Amino acid sequence: MDNLGVFLQIIFWGLYAGCIYILLATGLNLIFGVMKIVNFAHGEFLMIGAYITATIFFISGINPYLIILLSMLALIGIGAVVERFCFRPILGTGKLNEIFLSIGLIYIFQNGAAIIWTDEWQSVKSPYDGISLPFGSLSIPLDYILIMFFTAAIICGLYLFLKKTTIGMQMRATSQNRKGAMLVGIDVERIDVISFGLGCALAAAAGTLWIVSGQIFNPYMGSIPAIKAFAIIILGGLGSIPGAIIGGLLMGLAENGAAFLLGGIWKDAISFVILIIVLVVRPTGLFGEKGD
Amino acid sequence: MKYSVLFIASILFVAVFIAGCTQQPATQQPSTTQGVIKVGVIASLTGPASNVGTNMWQSAQVAADKINAEGGVTLKDGSKAQVKLIVGDDESTQQGGQKAATKLITDDKVDILVGGYSSAVTSSYQQTIAEYKIPYIVTGASSPIITHRTDIDTSYIFHHCPTTDTYGQYTTMFIDQVVRPAVNKKLGAPADRPFRLAMLYQDTAFGKGVQSAVNNTITTSKLNIQLVSQQSYRMGESDFRTPLTAIKAANPDAVYLAAFPNEGAPIITQARRDIGLNTIFLNVENNDNAQFYKDLGQYGEGAVIESRFSPYTAPAGAVAAAQNAFKQSYLTRFGTFPDMMGASTYEGIFIAARATQNAGTTDKAAVRQALVALEMPQVIEAMKGQTCSFSPDFRESTFDLWMEQLSYNATIGETRPVIVWPDNLKTTDFVLPSWYVAGSSS
Amino acid sequence: MHFKRDDMVKYGTVLAIVIALAIPFLTDSMFILNLLVIMLIFIIFASAWNLLAFSGQGSLGHAAFFGIGAYASTLIAANSGMSPFITIFLGAAVAAFVGILIGLTCVRLKEWFLAMVTFGFAIIVQTLTVSVLAPVTGGWDGIASSRLLSPSIPGYQLIEYYAVLVITIASIAAIWYIMKTRIGLAFLAIRENELEARAAGIDPVRFRLLAFALSAYLAGVAGALQIHHIGYLTPELYGVDNSFWPVTYVILGGLGTLAGPIVGTIALTIIWEGLKATGLTFGRYVIVGVMLILAIIFLPRGLVSLPEQVKDWLKRRKRKEPVREPADN
Repeated sequence: MDNLGVFLQIIFWGLYAGCIYILLATGLNLIFGVMKIVNFAHGEFLMIGAYITATIFFISGINPYLIILLSMLALIGIGAVVERFCFRPILGTGKLNEIFLSIGLIYIFQNGAAIIWTDEWQSVKSPYDGISLPFGSLSIPLDYILIMFFTAAIICGLYLFLKKTTIGMQMRATSQNRKGAMLVGIDVERIDVISFGLGCALAAAAGTLWIVSGQIFNPYMGSIPAIKAFAIIILGGLGSIPGAIIGGLLMGLAENGAAFLLGGIWKDAISFVILIIVLVVRPTGLFGEKGD
Repeated sequence: MKYSVLFIASILFVAVFIAGCTQQPATQQPSTTQGVIKVGVIASLTGPASNVGTNMWQSAQVAADKINAEGGVTLKDGSKAQVKLIVGDDESTQQGGQKAATKLITDDKVDILVGGYSSAVTSSYQQTIAEYKIPYIVTGASSPIITHRTDIDTSYIFHHCPTTDTYGQYTTMFIDQVVRPAVNKKLGAPADRPFRLAMLYQDTAFGKGVQSAVNNTITTSKLNIQLVSQQSYRMGESDFRTPLTAIKAANPDAVYLAAFPNEGAPIITQARRDIGLNTIFLNVENNDNAQFYKDLGQYGEGAVIESRFSPYTAPAGAVAAAQNAFKQSYLTRFGTFPDMMGASTYEGIFIAARATQNAGTTDKAAVRQALVALEMPQVIEAMKGQTCSFSPDFRESTFDLWMEQLSYNATIGETRPVIVWPDNLKTTDFVLPSWYVAGSSS
Repeated sequence: MHFKRDDMVKYGTVLAIVIALAIPFLTDSMFILNLLVIMLIFIIFASAWNLLAFSGQGSLGHAAFFGIGAYASTLIAANSGMSPFITIFLGAAVAAFVGILIGLTCVRLKEWFLAMVTFGFAIIVQTLTVSVLAPVTGGWDGIASSRLLSPSIPGYQLIEYYAVLVITIASIAAIWYIMKTRIGLAFLAIRENELEARAAGIDPVRFRLLAFALSAYLAGVAGALQIHHIGYLTPELYGVDNSFWPVTYVILGGLGTLAGPIVGTIALTIIWEGLKATGLTFGRYVIVGVMLILAIIFLPRGLVSLPEQVKDWLKRRKRKEPVREPADN
């Protein structure tokens, strides 16, 4: 296989894998932008979204791509509950509390999922499994294309929502200046709930697309992607969407490069090495923080 | 501050109180002369290894029930003793393992121990085993170090589970004796063409153990196999395209995977579907479970698994019948199927019972002697010489492992295995699939 | 009033120590003794983490120091033949050194960046241990570690328990002493308000590094003790589990207090073993998670503040006053 073909292939897989991180990172940025809180348990929402999709699929056999919406809706609900009962009471008491709360949430969600669904590895078969589209010298599975399409659609939908709807504008206002938003009469608590819910919905979408591409999953699947998403948004600059996308791509390249040159065991560690180097040089991230 | 200190004091007091209370039942436990053999089962009921651990514990229960239903164990004085199982959850951690072992040995005062999965966890309480001189039949750990350690006395530890040395050696011999000639024939190449083998292994004690076993087998047996690429990945990885690309660039004739099923299935799928690496994939026995076949789908075609207990096949004859009986009992009781760590644990209970019977007593030293001298007909898995016995040097038992090849069944939508090696167990021959591409043309 | 309070603290501490000394005679269960040894080790570990949290730095990767202390102590003992009782303190020094290095990268970071970085360091240290340093550390296979006391000594478990108890008391006393000095005050000042601390002439960077060094040292002592108690060392020691447990113990017990880690570790150990006895598996973790969240929301100063909260609540009921907001919200 010619080098260009290989190169293109690698870029393509990077794009496809990046979709999951883009959805996660955008969700995190959304929550952080509005509420300025950190939820290390964000990956658990990805996992729950995946399991909800899988369960509905196993029961009904509906095309998993269509189940995404249901899963997202379910997670808006779950996210709202978590925000209202866990994060709102401690809002303002310091970042350390949020971190510790997240640890509690991780214990609950991961093991709760293990109780409900057992911790065996499971998989979902996409209806398009085995169908590949030729693309020059490559043969790309249809699922990967659909994943990129859905990611783009969701991100665009989110963009339109933020720019064009009232709630979207209120969210942007709150993230830019919370006090000012309160002064002009925006119900910031309601905006908090909605933002958190939306962030979780994005995580659910990420989880659904993850399993639909044939990846196998278990209750512990969410922690690693979440940590990487965090590293990405720190690298790219909190609250910055283009930063998250660039950070994600950089991370993907670095990880695979390190795995290739140093051995697979370095794949996780290298993300942190990069993160640490960047933070030592620029303690506020590559593109700095917006609206903190 | 003052209240908190009193608080500490009262909590310590409560701790002592609970300690006192939980002490009572242990000291009142009847000793085994009252007709009970206490077998401690150490299994990971929580933590990352919990699905294997649950399998092991549940299989042990099926075994104990069967033994007791058939009359139990006959002791020297003619009395019959029932097998009583007590489980200890090692929580898949070192502290948990040590707590579980100590509790079983000193509190529950078990006569013999069976179980153990993670080698790291098992190593944390081997000292306690040596100290209390209690026989321990390890049925789930794959590291040879457990009985090869020289810093402590391992004479009470018996290893009834193939080790990474065994997996690596068997699979490499199979490659040399079956796959290599098949590839040479397909290419029309001379018989001295070196076989191009690649490895993709998990960067853990398990994966590295297999990798070094393969390297050692090639060197010591002077096999005509070249390791053209050896790539590793961290445990739990889900995206293998980079190491697979490196492997593909080395043009292998086959790839040996030292992976767990949740990694092996994506590896093979990504290799064949995304990278276009159309070759033979060889897998370790722990992949032989229903989920693996489901996850692989059509991409498992042609793959090979080294195994001793499969959900879908068994060596024809007595072994098949025994394995089916076990699977049915397990299914009836627990609603799912057992895996191979469960199978070896099932046998471990039978071994414990038989050794106690041979010794005629539950005295630990006597039972240990009986284990050393054990010659017991195989239970449900094929053993070398159809006998369960332990090697004199490191007290390891020798399984009659087989290699099975997968072929796609379009009706089910999954692949199914058939045994292709060794000759005394096989039902058909190994074949290279039509889409197979060798590493080089000469 | 002040005088009486000090007396109560003194008597209370003595009482606690007396009970701890007496426990082995109240039970002859080796299992309980072993459990207590592990619990004491984790009291040291939790207190070490708490010390770092005093200075406002919440680490999610303390297992790194736990493990480095264990590895350093084991290797020193193996190569020099010194008794583990000495190498523990040498190994901990190595952990402290690494703590300063890690601290250097963290001192200017905000809380949750620091949390992520420390988390990452635990992973990096583990990766180094199994790759580059494998020839020395035994890689994934691990290495045997010399035991604190040879099993051939009669009653060695009892002696081990007392030895660990002495080290635990010494560690707590050391932390108590540190917090009383200027250093302790500096930690609190930095945590409360960095700008004001700086204005008062306290250099946050210096004291943050010092906190890292001290905390890493004690965590290293705990790790070394654990491994010499068990007798075998593997890289799983750096796992996320070992990083999260001290955090859980301290939050439940009471963050930022001396007694908090102690109370939290004891309470949670009892609860954990009790839950295990009921047969719950995953449910154990769910319950712990729920407890953690309830503690953070409703009992932010931990179990140690429970008597005070109850007292306040009773007082309010007696006076029939309208319910006031708790002062620390």
